[in-house]
Amino acid sequence: MGFGVSGSTAVIFLGVLIASGTLYTTTAGTAEQVTEARDTEGEELLDRRNTVIDVTAVVYNTTSGTLNVTVTNNGSTTLSVEDTSLLVDNEYVLPDSTAVDGDPDTDIWAPDQGLALGVNANTTSALDADTTPDRVKVVAENGVAASNTTVEAVS
Amino acid sequence: MADVSVPSLILFIASIVIAAGVAGVLIDTVTGISGALDDRGADVAENIRTDVEVISDSESAVYNGADGTVTLYVKNTGRRAIPATNESFDVIVNAQYQSNVTVAIVDGSAEWTPHGVVEVQIGGLNLDAGDHQVRLVVSGDEETFRFNT
Repeated sequence: MGFGVSGSTAVIFLGVLIASGTLYTTTAGTAEQVTEARDTEGEELLDRRNTVIDVTAVVYNTTSGTLNVTVTNNGSTTLSVEDTSLLVDNEYVLPDSTAVDGDPDTDIWAPDQGLALGVNANTTSALDADTTPDRVKVVAENGVAASNTTVEAVS
Repeated sequence: MADVSVPSLILFIASIVIAAGVAGVLIDTVTGISGALDDRGADVAENIRTDVEVISDSESAVYNGADGTVTLYVKNTGRRAIPATNESFDVIVNAQYQSNVTVAIVDGSAEWTPHGVVEVQIGGLNLDAGDHQVRLVVSGDEETFRFNT
Protein backbone atom coordinates (compact mmCIF):
# COMPACT_ATOMS: atom_id res chain seq x y z
CA MET A 1 0.00 0.00 0.00
CA GLY A 2 2.84 2.33 0.87
CA PHE A 3 4.47 1.98 -2.54
CA GLY A 4 1.12 2.49 -4.24
CA VAL A 5 0.49 5.82 -2.49
CA SER A 6 4.04 7.03 -3.14
CA GLY A 7 3.95 5.97 -6.79
CA SER A 8 0.57 7.54 -7.56
CA THR A 9 1.54 10.75 -5.73
CA ALA A 10 4.69 10.94 -7.83
CA VAL A 11 2.69 10.43 -11.06
CA ILE A 12 0.12 13.11 -10.13
CA PHE A 13 2.90 15.47 -9.04
CA LEU A 14 4.60 14.95 -12.42
CA GLY A 15 1.30 15.67 -14.18
CA VAL A 16 0.79 18.89 -12.17
CA LEU A 17 4.39 19.93 -12.95
CA ILE A 18 3.96 19.42 -16.71
CA ALA A 19 0.58 21.21 -16.70
CA SER A 20 1.97 24.17 -14.72
CA GLY A 21 4.94 24.43 -17.08
CA THR A 22 2.69 24.53 -20.14
CA LEU A 23 0.33 27.08 -18.57
CA TYR A 24 3.16 29.33 -17.42
CA THR A 25 4.87 29.32 -20.84
CA THR A 26 1.65 30.25 -22.62
CA THR A 27 0.61 32.89 -20.07
CA ALA A 28 4.03 34.55 -20.14
CA GLY A 29 4.07 34.56 -23.97
CA THR A 30 0.56 35.98 -24.23
CA ALA A 31 1.20 38.64 -21.59
CA GLU A 32 4.38 39.71 -23.37
CA GLN A 33 2.58 39.90 -26.73
CA VAL A 34 -0.24 42.05 -25.32
CA THR A 35 2.12 44.27 -23.30
CA GLU A 36 4.29 44.89 -26.35
CA ALA A 37 1.22 45.81 -28.44
CA ARG A 38 0.01 48.19 -25.70
CA ASP A 39 3.48 49.78 -25.37
CA THR A 40 3.66 50.47 -29.10
CA GLU A 41 0.11 51.82 -29.05
CA GLY A 42 1.09 54.19 -26.22
CA GLU A 43 4.10 55.40 -28.18
CA GLU A 44 1.95 55.98 -31.27
CA LEU A 45 -0.58 57.89 -29.18
CA LEU A 46 2.20 60.12 -27.88
CA ASP A 47 3.40 60.71 -31.47
CA ARG A 48 -0.16 61.53 -32.50
CA ARG A 49 -0.54 64.02 -29.64
CA ASN A 50 2.70 65.67 -30.68
CA THR A 51 1.60 66.03 -34.29
CA VAL A 52 0.21 69.32 -35.56
CA ILE A 53 0.00 70.15 -39.24
CA ASP A 54 -1.36 73.30 -40.84
CA VAL A 55 -2.30 73.90 -44.44
CA THR A 56 -0.71 77.31 -44.88
CA ALA A 57 -1.37 77.97 -48.56
CA VAL A 58 -3.45 76.49 -51.35
CA VAL A 59 -2.90 78.01 -54.76
CA TYR A 60 -4.73 76.86 -57.87
CA ASN A 61 -3.53 77.94 -61.28
CA THR A 62 -6.61 78.14 -63.49
CA THR A 63 -4.55 78.38 -66.67
CA SER A 64 -2.33 75.33 -66.21
CA GLY A 65 -4.72 73.49 -63.89
CA THR A 66 -2.11 72.85 -61.23
CA LEU A 67 -2.80 72.84 -57.54
CA ASN A 68 -0.04 73.64 -55.07
CA VAL A 69 -0.63 72.89 -51.41
CA THR A 70 1.83 73.97 -48.72
CA VAL A 71 1.58 72.24 -45.35
CA THR A 72 3.73 73.02 -42.33
CA ASN A 73 4.66 70.50 -39.66
CA ASN A 74 4.04 72.54 -36.49
CA GLY A 75 4.30 69.61 -34.12
CA SER A 76 7.33 67.80 -32.77
CA THR A 77 6.89 64.47 -34.60
CA THR A 78 8.86 63.70 -37.74
CA LEU A 79 6.40 62.58 -40.42
CA SER A 80 6.69 60.65 -43.66
CA VAL A 81 6.01 62.39 -46.97
CA GLU A 82 5.09 59.12 -48.69
CA ASP A 83 2.44 58.29 -46.06
CA THR A 84 0.77 61.69 -46.17
CA SER A 85 -2.64 61.69 -47.89
CA LEU A 86 -4.22 64.50 -49.85
CA LEU A 87 -7.95 64.97 -50.47
CA VAL A 88 -9.19 67.54 -52.97
CA ASP A 89 -12.94 68.21 -52.85
CA ASN A 90 -13.27 64.99 -50.85
CA GLU A 91 -11.53 62.91 -53.49
CA TYR A 92 -8.28 61.08 -52.78
CA VAL A 93 -5.44 62.43 -54.92
CA LEU A 94 -1.91 61.10 -55.39
CA PRO A 95 0.37 64.14 -55.58
CA ASP A 96 2.45 64.46 -58.75
CA SER A 97 5.26 66.22 -56.93
CA THR A 98 6.37 66.55 -53.32
CA ALA A 99 9.12 68.66 -51.79
CA VAL A 100 10.18 69.31 -48.22
CA ASP A 101 11.74 72.78 -47.99
CA GLY A 102 12.69 72.48 -51.67
CA ASP A 103 14.05 68.91 -51.50
CA PRO A 104 11.95 66.70 -53.83
CA ASP A 105 13.66 63.37 -52.96
CA THR A 106 13.30 63.17 -49.22
CA ASP A 107 10.66 61.22 -47.33
CA ILE A 108 11.41 62.93 -44.01
CA TRP A 109 9.12 65.77 -43.06
CA ALA A 110 10.67 67.16 -39.91
CA PRO A 111 9.11 69.67 -37.47
CA ASP A 112 9.00 73.28 -38.69
CA GLN A 113 9.51 72.15 -42.28
CA GLY A 114 7.08 72.94 -45.06
CA LEU A 115 5.80 70.25 -47.40
CA ALA A 116 4.78 71.34 -50.89
CA LEU A 117 2.37 69.05 -52.74
CA GLY A 118 1.72 69.59 -56.43
CA VAL A 119 -1.15 68.11 -58.43
CA ASN A 120 -1.83 68.47 -62.15
CA ALA A 121 -5.36 68.62 -63.49
CA ASN A 122 -4.64 66.07 -66.22
CA THR A 123 -3.56 63.37 -63.74
CA THR A 124 -6.58 63.47 -61.49
CA SER A 125 -10.32 63.60 -62.07
CA ALA A 126 -10.77 65.65 -58.89
CA LEU A 127 -9.41 68.73 -60.64
CA ASP A 128 -10.97 70.53 -63.50
CA ALA A 129 -8.90 73.17 -65.30
CA ASP A 130 -11.75 75.70 -65.18
CA THR A 131 -13.12 75.09 -61.71
CA THR A 132 -11.20 76.06 -58.62
CA PRO A 133 -11.43 73.36 -55.92
CA ASP A 134 -13.29 74.36 -52.76
CA ARG A 135 -11.66 72.28 -50.12
CA VAL A 136 -8.28 70.68 -49.58
CA LYS A 137 -7.51 68.29 -46.73
CA VAL A 138 -4.12 66.87 -45.80
CA VAL A 139 -3.88 63.84 -43.52
CA ALA A 140 -0.61 62.87 -41.84
CA GLU A 141 0.46 59.23 -41.52
CA ASN A 142 -1.08 58.89 -38.04
CA GLY A 143 -4.48 60.31 -38.98
CA VAL A 144 -3.96 63.91 -37.82
CA ALA A 145 -5.62 66.12 -40.42
CA ALA A 146 -5.70 69.74 -41.49
CA SER A 147 -7.96 71.32 -44.05
CA ASN A 148 -8.18 74.59 -45.89
CA THR A 149 -11.18 76.02 -47.65
CA THR A 150 -9.52 79.24 -48.77
CA VAL A 151 -8.20 78.25 -52.16
CA GLU A 152 -6.43 81.10 -53.91
CA ALA A 153 -6.95 81.10 -57.67
CA VAL A 154 -4.26 82.50 -59.93
CA SER A 155 -4.00 82.50 -63.68
CA MET B 1 3.92 -14.26 1.52
CA ALA B 2 2.48 -14.77 -1.93
CA ASP B 3 -1.01 -14.22 -0.47
CA VAL B 4 -0.01 -10.73 0.70
CA SER B 5 2.03 -9.74 -2.36
CA VAL B 6 -0.56 -10.40 -5.07
CA PRO B 7 -3.32 -8.11 -3.72
CA SER B 8 -0.71 -5.48 -2.88
CA LEU B 9 0.62 -5.64 -6.42
CA ILE B 10 -2.89 -5.36 -7.85
CA LEU B 11 -3.62 -2.34 -5.61
CA PHE B 12 -0.28 -0.78 -6.54
CA ILE B 13 -0.92 -1.17 -10.27
CA ALA B 14 -4.50 0.09 -9.89
CA SER B 15 -3.39 3.21 -7.97
CA ILE B 16 -0.68 3.98 -10.52
CA VAL B 17 -3.16 3.56 -13.42
CA ILE B 18 -5.73 5.83 -11.73
CA ALA B 19 -3.03 8.42 -10.92
CA ALA B 20 -1.79 8.29 -14.52
CA GLY B 21 -5.37 8.79 -15.74
CA VAL B 22 -5.90 11.78 -13.47
CA ALA B 23 -2.55 13.30 -14.52
CA GLY B 24 -3.39 12.68 -18.20
CA VAL B 25 -6.75 14.42 -17.92
CA LEU B 26 -5.12 17.32 -16.06
CA ILE B 27 -2.42 17.77 -18.70
CA ASP B 28 -4.97 17.50 -21.51
CA THR B 29 -7.27 20.11 -19.94
CA VAL B 30 -4.45 22.54 -19.19
CA THR B 31 -3.08 22.15 -22.75
CA GLY B 32 -6.55 23.04 -24.07
CA ILE B 33 -6.75 26.11 -21.81
CA SER B 34 -3.23 27.13 -22.88
CA GLY B 35 -4.16 26.89 -26.56
CA ALA B 36 -7.27 29.01 -26.01
CA LEU B 37 -5.26 31.57 -24.01
CA ASP B 38 -2.63 31.74 -26.74
CA ASP B 39 -5.29 32.32 -29.44
CA ARG B 40 -7.05 34.95 -27.32
CA GLY B 41 -3.76 36.74 -26.66
CA ALA B 42 -2.95 36.82 -30.38
CA ASP B 43 -6.46 38.19 -31.11
CA VAL B 44 -6.18 40.89 -28.44
CA ALA B 45 -2.71 41.91 -29.68
CA GLU B 46 -4.07 42.06 -33.27
CA ASN B 47 -7.00 44.21 -32.15
CA ILE B 48 -4.64 46.60 -30.35
CA ARG B 49 -2.48 46.87 -33.47
CA THR B 50 -5.53 47.66 -35.63
CA ASP B 51 -6.54 51.29 -36.02
CA VAL B 52 -8.36 52.98 -38.87
CA GLU B 53 -9.45 56.55 -39.41
CA VAL B 54 -12.14 57.93 -41.72
CA ILE B 55 -10.44 60.82 -43.51
CA SER B 56 -13.34 61.96 -45.68
CA ASP B 57 -14.75 65.40 -45.06
CA SER B 58 -18.19 65.65 -43.52
CA GLU B 59 -18.72 68.98 -45.20
CA SER B 60 -18.25 67.71 -48.72
CA ALA B 61 -20.86 65.60 -50.45
CA VAL B 62 -20.05 62.02 -49.48
CA TYR B 63 -23.54 60.88 -50.48
CA ASN B 64 -24.37 60.53 -54.14
CA GLY B 65 -28.16 60.71 -54.33
CA ALA B 66 -28.33 59.64 -57.99
CA ASP B 67 -26.44 56.36 -57.35
CA GLY B 68 -27.53 55.95 -53.74
CA THR B 69 -23.93 55.50 -52.61
CA VAL B 70 -21.83 56.83 -49.79
CA THR B 71 -18.11 57.00 -50.54
CA LEU B 72 -15.65 57.19 -47.66
CA TYR B 73 -11.87 57.19 -47.59
CA VAL B 74 -10.40 55.19 -44.73
CA LYS B 75 -6.75 55.38 -43.67
CA ASN B 76 -4.97 52.53 -41.93
CA THR B 77 -3.38 54.24 -38.93
CA GLY B 78 -2.55 50.97 -37.16
CA ARG B 79 0.51 48.77 -37.42
CA ARG B 80 -0.73 45.79 -39.39
CA ALA B 81 -1.89 45.22 -42.96
CA ILE B 82 -5.64 44.66 -43.20
CA PRO B 83 -7.20 42.68 -46.09
CA ALA B 84 -8.89 45.24 -48.34
CA THR B 85 -12.12 43.30 -48.80
CA ASN B 86 -15.67 43.98 -47.68
CA GLU B 87 -15.33 41.08 -45.24
CA SER B 88 -12.91 43.17 -43.18
CA PHE B 89 -15.59 45.82 -42.66
CA ASP B 90 -18.84 45.77 -40.76
CA VAL B 91 -20.78 48.78 -41.99
CA ILE B 92 -23.80 50.18 -40.19
CA VAL B 93 -25.64 53.17 -41.69
CA ASN B 94 -28.29 54.75 -39.45
CA ALA B 95 -28.42 51.61 -37.28
CA GLN B 96 -28.92 49.33 -40.30
CA TYR B 97 -26.31 46.77 -41.30
CA GLN B 98 -25.15 47.18 -44.90
CA SER B 99 -23.92 44.31 -47.03
CA ASN B 100 -23.55 46.17 -50.33
CA VAL B 101 -20.02 47.36 -49.61
CA THR B 102 -17.08 47.52 -52.00
CA VAL B 103 -13.53 48.27 -50.91
CA ALA B 104 -10.76 49.42 -53.24
CA ILE B 105 -7.20 50.48 -52.52
CA VAL B 106 -6.62 53.97 -53.91
CA ASP B 107 -3.03 54.74 -52.97
CA GLY B 108 -1.48 52.47 -55.60
CA SER B 109 -0.33 49.71 -53.21
CA ALA B 110 -1.13 46.03 -53.61
CA GLU B 111 -2.39 45.68 -50.04
CA TRP B 112 -3.87 47.91 -47.39
CA THR B 113 -0.65 48.39 -45.46
CA PRO B 114 -0.20 50.78 -42.51
CA HIS B 115 -0.71 54.43 -43.61
CA GLY B 116 -2.47 53.28 -46.79
CA VAL B 117 -5.88 54.53 -47.91
CA VAL B 118 -8.88 52.59 -49.19
CA GLU B 119 -12.13 53.78 -50.70
CA VAL B 120 -15.21 52.24 -49.09
CA GLN B 121 -18.33 52.51 -51.20
CA ILE B 122 -21.64 51.69 -49.56
CA GLY B 123 -24.35 51.13 -52.15
CA GLY B 124 -28.10 50.57 -52.14
CA LEU B 125 -28.85 53.54 -49.89
CA ASN B 126 -31.81 55.87 -50.04
CA LEU B 127 -31.10 58.63 -47.55
CA ASP B 128 -33.49 61.45 -46.78
CA ALA B 129 -32.31 65.00 -46.20
CA GLY B 130 -30.90 65.35 -42.70
CA ASP B 131 -28.18 64.00 -40.45
CA HIS B 132 -26.82 60.50 -40.94
CA GLN B 133 -24.30 58.29 -39.22
CA VAL B 134 -22.01 55.61 -40.64
CA ARG B 135 -20.30 53.22 -38.27
CA LEU B 136 -17.37 51.16 -39.51
CA VAL B 137 -16.03 48.25 -37.48
CA VAL B 138 -12.66 46.77 -38.48
CA SER B 139 -11.22 44.03 -36.23
CA GLY B 140 -12.90 45.52 -33.16
CA ASP B 141 -11.88 49.10 -33.99
CA GLU B 142 -14.96 51.28 -34.34
CA GLU B 143 -15.14 54.50 -36.30
CA THR B 144 -18.17 56.74 -36.49
CA PHE B 145 -18.65 59.20 -39.34
CA ARG B 146 -21.49 61.72 -39.27
CA PHE B 147 -22.59 63.70 -42.26
CA ASN B 148 -25.46 65.74 -43.54
CA THR B 149 -27.35 65.37 -46.82
